[in-house]
Amino acid sequence: MSHVQAIDPYAPEPVSDAELIERVLAGDPSAERALYDAHVDRVFRLVYRMAGDLDRAQDWVQETFIRAFQKLGDFRGDSALSTWLCSIAVSVSLNGLRKVKRFREREVALDDAPPMGFTPREADPDLKTRLADAIDGLPDGYRTVFVMHDVEGFTHEEIGRTLGVQPGTSKAQLFRARARLRHVLADFARDRDR
Amino acid sequence: MSDDELDERIREAARAYNAPPETPREEMWARITAARQRGGGAAGQRDSRVLPFRRRWVPWAAAAAAILAVGVGIGRVSVEPESSVWEGPSANATTYRLAAQEHLSQSEAFLTLFRTSLEERTDHRLASASARQLLATSRLLLDSPAATDRAMRLLLEDLELVLAEIAQLSPRSREEDLQLIRDGIERGNMMPRLRTAVPSGAALTQGVL
Repeated sequence: MSHVQAIDPYAPEPVSDAELIERVLAGDPSAERALYDAHVDRVFRLVYRMAGDLDRAQDWVQETFIRAFQKLGDFRGDSALSTWLCSIAVSVSLNGLRKVKRFREREVALDDAPPMGFTPREADPDLKTRLADAIDGLPDGYRTVFVMHDVEGFTHEEIGRTLGVQPGTSKAQLFRARARLRHVLADFARDRDR
Repeated sequence: MSDDELDERIREAARAYNAPPETPREEMWARITAARQRGGGAAGQRDSRVLPFRRRWVPWAAAAAAILAVGVGIGRVSVEPESSVWEGPSANATTYRLAAQEHLSQSEAFLTLFRTSLEERTDHRLASASARQLLATSRLLLDSPAATDRAMRLLLEDLELVLAEIAQLSPRSREEDLQLIRDGIERGNMMPRLRTAVPSGAALTQGVL
């Protein structure tokens, strides 16, 4: 079976981020769309992993691109455009998650309801479900690094640039996140050893 | 199972964590474009899951923003200038009429949206907040020295009653309260009167709904 990809002679030439940015800043709407198309998948994947909910993810991706278009003139090109967009996306997502948590805490206090997990899951969960609960329960910093590195495949250098921290800090956060997850899932490992 | 093995199992299982669906590319682009055309960037700032009436906040918020803008405008009309040059009664009356028409147009849009939300049994807290803003504008218009048109005054007074009832809604409001408001809108022929009072094309609020 051949894996040679057919070349479409009419396909538009790939455009660099720098060129796209220039055109967007000059007011070219097609460039805005091209910039969005080039980056939306990665942003959406990351935001969805953080949000765990389609409506929320859509809202936050929308917010990310609106902010990006507003601030594009300030983008200095110190990092890749995708990294810059992801840093906005993470910031929007973390702010959104904090609001959700605050609201839920208030709601629980008002209703005097029993505590609930971040996302409702089955009573007798398998590893994936228990892991999901454990990841939801991580502090925001650990969870963000874990999701970016172990789930979405970002490198520590990319995470460092996105979050504005040193790669070493990213590694340390990941180490601690994994340790917490191992601790929470320790009984699962014991069950498997029997 | 060693730590490394468990880590490996965790990494494998983590790939299924909040697994994203296909990117809703067109839908999001449409929303981004619409939000930017409205000149707002706040669409995603409020979390839709926070409110029980998901996605309902967009029209309510847009309506509220527009209402606020009209209220500010009317406030300026209602305040007599202290030392400015007298423009004569016609300029003041025209400004009042335009402001009143805008307000009535807003009110019509609001009541249409509110009646729909009654059908869907959604939370009425945002509707109540919007009604309070409209109520304030109604009262400004009623108190304005330029309010000389009797038909307009009667319509504004009836509107004031309906808006006051909506403004008092709370999560504890009962079905009877909603029915009273429904009756108030129907009995006073509120919607047809509002539509008649607003000339076609005068509504600056098109797109709010």
